[in-house]
Amino acid sequence: MKGLILKDLLNLKSTFKMLGLMIFLFAVIYIPQGNGFIFGMIILMFAMMVVTTISYDDLAKWDAYALTMPVTRKEMVLSKYLVMAILNTLGAVLSLIVGIIGRMIMGQSFSTEILAIIGVLYLIAFSFGSMMVPLIYRFGTEKARIMMFLCALIPTGLILLFTQIKIPLPEATNPLIYLFLLLGFTVIMVSGSYLISLRVYSNKEF
Amino acid sequence: MINAIEIKNLNKNYQDFQLKDVSFKVPKGSIVGFIGENGAGKTTTIKAILNLVKRDGGTIEMLGMDTLKDEKKIKASVGVVMDGCNFHDNLKTGDISKMLGSIYKNWNQKLYQQYLKKFKLPENKIIKEFSRGMKMKLQIAVALSHEPELLILDEATSGLDPIVREEILDVFMEFIQDEEHSILISSHITSDLDKIADYIVFIHQGEILLDQEKENLLSKMGVLKCGEEDFRKLEGDEYIRYRKNQFSFEVLVNDKVAIRKKYPEAVVDGVTIEQIMLFYIRGGK
Repeated sequence: MKGLILKDLLNLKSTFKMLGLMIFLFAVIYIPQGNGFIFGMIILMFAMMVVTTISYDDLAKWDAYALTMPVTRKEMVLSKYLVMAILNTLGAVLSLIVGIIGRMIMGQSFSTEILAIIGVLYLIAFSFGSMMVPLIYRFGTEKARIMMFLCALIPTGLILLFTQIKIPLPEATNPLIYLFLLLGFTVIMVSGSYLISLRVYSNKEF
Repeated sequence: MINAIEIKNLNKNYQDFQLKDVSFKVPKGSIVGFIGENGAGKTTTIKAILNLVKRDGGTIEMLGMDTLKDEKKIKASVGVVMDGCNFHDNLKTGDISKMLGSIYKNWNQKLYQQYLKKFKLPENKIIKEFSRGMKMKLQIAVALSHEPELLILDEATSGLDPIVREEILDVFMEFIQDEEHSILISSHITSDLDKIADYIVFIHQGEILLDQEKENLLSKMGVLKCGEEDFRKLEGDEYIRYRKNQFSFEVLVNDKVAIRKKYPEAVVDGVTIEQIMLFYIRGGK
């Protein structure tokens, strides 16, 4: 299991370097404007990387080979979810660092608002990955990417529609309720996704 | 344990292809050459052995254990090389050692280094820059470095030049010297198997046509060259297959010594595995 995770991180080594450069550039551009866009960028880029690791695996025909080793199919799937967790966490931590440094440079004090934005994005990143991984296992990287776009379009469209016809979005007095709702939703998404992936992967033929 | 692999009545159904009651053994301490044309079922059989595809029937034992029950335990002692390189392009040989060191309990870092040196594989280049020969050698080095008891090789020597192939065959010969290790090697480069195989298993359209000791096969079978008239005189059980040329017949015979005795003036040559394969697939009965 450790070996499988190590494999993904080693494979992403060159991606990490490029990403570092990109984050630096984005930070220079967006921090002075003082919006939260940069955090979304960083977390999204890290969240996308689990997809990259799977396409690397496909390219090398790694899975069939890995399964000739003392590695079970369950470990293969579980390792992907752990890699996802590691990458998302890395993205969140990096966002936080950029946020803190940015505030320091701009001479502002650190606000909990940033923490809240990053926290929410961190949880959304897990839901995103949870949607993506089983789709990839079932349909392959290319098709899954297109499906992912559709999945993103539908809720965006709905929200747009709601604002158009002016249905008021529910407003809670306590924003913490949202956080707990989101947390619960994420936990359900990740565990459901893992079970589906495991099922798809166990029946896969190479 | 007498057999490293024992397959009994393996069945696998695809829409357009089937493995039909495939049964054979890989005796411990031997090299079994698994031959057949493209699409004959070699890779499917190997994948079924390794549980990469689900079988529809039959039992497979490896190293004395059932492959469905003791899969993980078995795979710790098996080295596999498939057709092509399965490591990611941007890795270096050192990265592979780090990964596999925590996948295989008995990964032998020193042995791995020795093989890298022996095969002259560079440590500072990424795999993308390796030639095909180097990639294959890397796969073989990896397959040997956790000190397996059994090697399974699927087309591991195809696409390589004769010099690299011989180098690799030498390594295989060395591997089985201790009489404990065994190899199952599928290949359509039959001259490689002429050199190293102890047994030949021949699969055609999903069925095993032939399963024999190589020496036995090559010392007994022969090719009789004759005209149509002489061919007609042969009895049914004296030959296996025949092929008709423009002017003559070539006949694969069961027992060349007996044929020579019976027809002293006939020309009976020895046979290679390639000829046997061609006779079986393209010849008439």
